[in-house]
Amino acid sequence: MSLESAVLKKLGQGAPEWLCRRREHAWNVYKNTPLPTTQSEEWRYTDLSQIVDLESLKFLLPGDVDLNGSLPEILEGVLNENRTASGSSFLVDGLTTNIDSEASLSAQGVIFTSLRSAVEDYSDLLEEHLAVEALPPEKGKFEALNAAFWTDGVLLYVPRGVNIKLPFRTVNYLSHAGSAVCTRTLIIAEAGSQVSYVEEIISEDFDEITLASSSLEVIAKEGAQVQFVSIQQSGHGVFCQSAQRTLAHRDSILNTLNVGLGGSVSRVDLNSQLLGSGAKSDMLGIYFGDQNQCFDHNTSQDHVASNSGSDLLYKGALDGSSRAAFRGIIRVHPGAQGTDAYQTNRNLLLSDNARADSLPNLEIEADDVKCSHGATIGQLDKEALFYLLSRGLSRQQAERLVVLGFLGDVMSRLPLGDVVDEVTQAIEQKLLTHA
Amino acid sequence: MPENELIQNLDLDEYKYGFIDQETHVFRTRPGLDEDIVRQISERKEEPQWMLDFRLKALRTYEAKPMPKWGGDLSKLEETLEEIYFYVKPQDQMERSWDDVPENIKNTFERLGIPEAEQKVLAGVGAQYESEMVYHSLKDEWESQGVIFDSIEDGLKNHPELFREHFATVIPPADNKFSALNSAVWSGGSFVYIPRGVHLETPLQAYFRVNQERMGQFERTLIIVEEGAQAHYIEGCTAPVYSTDSFHSGVIEIVLKRDSRFRYTTIQNWSNNMYNLVTQRALVNENATMEWLDGNLGSKLTMKYPSCYLMGEGAHGSIMSIAYASDGQHQDTGGKVVHAAPNTTSSIVSKSISKGHGRSSYRGLCKVYEGSTNARSNVECDALLINDTSRTDTYPYIEIEEKRSTVGHEATVSKVGDEQLFYLKSRGMSEEEAMALIVRGFIEPIAKELPLEYAVELNRLIELEMEGSVG
Repeated sequence: MSLESAVLKKLGQGAPEWLCRRREHAWNVYKNTPLPTTQSEEWRYTDLSQIVDLESLKFLLPGDVDLNGSLPEILEGVLNENRTASGSSFLVDGLTTNIDSEASLSAQGVIFTSLRSAVEDYSDLLEEHLAVEALPPEKGKFEALNAAFWTDGVLLYVPRGVNIKLPFRTVNYLSHAGSAVCTRTLIIAEAGSQVSYVEEIISEDFDEITLASSSLEVIAKEGAQVQFVSIQQSGHGVFCQSAQRTLAHRDSILNTLNVGLGGSVSRVDLNSQLLGSGAKSDMLGIYFGDQNQCFDHNTSQDHVASNSGSDLLYKGALDGSSRAAFRGIIRVHPGAQGTDAYQTNRNLLLSDNARADSLPNLEIEADDVKCSHGATIGQLDKEALFYLLSRGLSRQQAERLVVLGFLGDVMSRLPLGDVVDEVTQAIEQKLLTHA
Repeated sequence: MPENELIQNLDLDEYKYGFIDQETHVFRTRPGLDEDIVRQISERKEEPQWMLDFRLKALRTYEAKPMPKWGGDLSKLEETLEEIYFYVKPQDQMERSWDDVPENIKNTFERLGIPEAEQKVLAGVGAQYESEMVYHSLKDEWESQGVIFDSIEDGLKNHPELFREHFATVIPPADNKFSALNSAVWSGGSFVYIPRGVHLETPLQAYFRVNQERMGQFERTLIIVEEGAQAHYIEGCTAPVYSTDSFHSGVIEIVLKRDSRFRYTTIQNWSNNMYNLVTQRALVNENATMEWLDGNLGSKLTMKYPSCYLMGEGAHGSIMSIAYASDGQHQDTGGKVVHAAPNTTSSIVSKSISKGHGRSSYRGLCKVYEGSTNARSNVECDALLINDTSRTDTYPYIEIEEKRSTVGHEATVSKVGDEQLFYLKSRGMSEEEAMALIVRGFIEPIAKELPLEYAVELNRLIELEMEGSVG
């Protein structure tokens, strides 16, 4: 079914009225928002008109997905990895197929459920937070699209003071070429709680452009600590669009890591809001492009309250004819004294046809601040290479090692051991094709 | 304007160049701009047909281009442009001796210290008043070596082939809205030619003064530096303070042949009612070195990004800029370096100070085209904020298509540290003295590159501006 009101009706069947109204509103915003062009600063380096025709995508509805067939190989692989997690969920083409979590957690009031069932079970919670507080449809074309047409996703709610050691994990799998899949994640961490969440996006390779649209809303209340990790390893033909907005209240710590490895085009819009005094946000990113891949990151660090801190580090390596664009902005709002805000983007060009563009911006309207940004685009560290070659490594081995060290630097700041290993392996896998 | 209003707007303590001369002109066009006015300017200048055609085509380009939506606030500019005089001719002809310059105009430049500096430290001086160069002179020793330093109009008249070969080749009219406007109504500016191998030991200076209220000044400068030649050109500008806005939009084109070296220094100290939208660009050929030294202290809004197009192997471009934004000022400045050949290098160093409600923005581009192997570029921006109402922004664009290149950008923002202030105060300095000392230290790396008299002037200005800035 293509993009039209009929889809909305179908999605709204049996849903509470507030949700139908909210979807209807988002659909109106979507229709009234033009597709961004390269004329706009935020889309300067990614020409959407060359990538996707939203009107021609097929929107999968709950009845369209066959959940009873045998699991695809790629998904089996992930399932068999035997991961340690507090809870895990699987989504196939935008619908949850399994979800479970440790029983002891639900006894403490932790909610880890699919968004579809949350509509029935936790309607009030969703009404208060979903697509209104962090990511209302007015934020942009894709935010509106997702708010109107999301089919499923995850709700993670951690009550006050509950401290969860192991991460929750979600795997989002796409199987239909030419489809549009819209999912959402809502994470609410109450005061003093601690939680981490890891999502992965995987898919088959597709001949037709396929849209994976995801929206992430994270709310960290006073003193809460939240870690969010996204690992994007989708196949060819996938346009991975992800809008993320995190709200960090007083003394909270809200860290994110975005790993971009797969897909044909990947666009991440991440906005970190430092709303309370003492709030901190580490924003980490890794991308590795080859062939014709494009990675476009658009980040912003909004310091609204005083004495908050943010530190962004995005590093990427580009092989083949891949391309990366990074546009980041630190905004220190009037009155946000005592802000510490940093932003660094580093790129390695591994091939003659790779290209990187970087726009690290600052807008500072308070004077008692420490802010800096840096961007570099360059080649492999010659001295490191020389050293490794002199130790008997082949050029190929040496180059791989240097790239791994360059990107690994980001992961050393993430305290999730299993995830670090998985990402490292995935990068190693990709590096095997580097000639 | 009633006299008391004028006095209110004058604040000589802060801006000592704000004095107003009696209005004198032998001709001026009516306010506003249309084809007829462009024809009048061209006719007055007795130009060849090709230049009139060039101007008229540029006017159409200007009209077709939308007002830029980025940078500073240009929302009221359209109104201003309807009311200003696009061409004001202050005297009948340009003079070679100060004695022949009309008394009141000569007095203006004497108050600005130009004739004195000319004798002591300069190779040549050009002085522009309103729309025309009123004085131009080059010392004999340089003239005899074939150096040309003339008004742009005389450049066109006396060296038509050399002029036409290079004019508008570095900055075509369609480059941006304001280069199109300048191309349509340009008047005044310098034509400079440094012959092969000639090293000018002292600088050339052009001084720009706007006296007329609601005035548009559109100087056009074309500089050709032949193989192995070296020179330094300084540009200064001031204007009286009026309650209405004025407009200055220059186009400066520089061609550096192989192995040459050129430095262009600007000390922009327009009054705070001036829009200053300037396009400056240098084409840098093999092993040549271009240096822009750009000081922006005055104006209401400045949008200016001196650029180096590194076209030949081994070319080097350097841009050093200081911006100072106080109440009611927005300095949107920076620089552009484009690497289009192997082994090219560039560096941009930008320092800005924002005080009161002032806003300074760094906006820059570093572009490395594929094939520019071993290109290296480094950009450093430092911003100092004096008050909690001050604002600073950094908008660098970095676009790299060549793997074998190295590009870095760094920016920091800070305020004057309490510890630094405390230390200096404990050594017996007043808070204001301490503040001025810290700010001077901050801009020192660039100030030391300035000719001595400008460095002194800059430091004096910083001291004045720091008065009452504390607390």
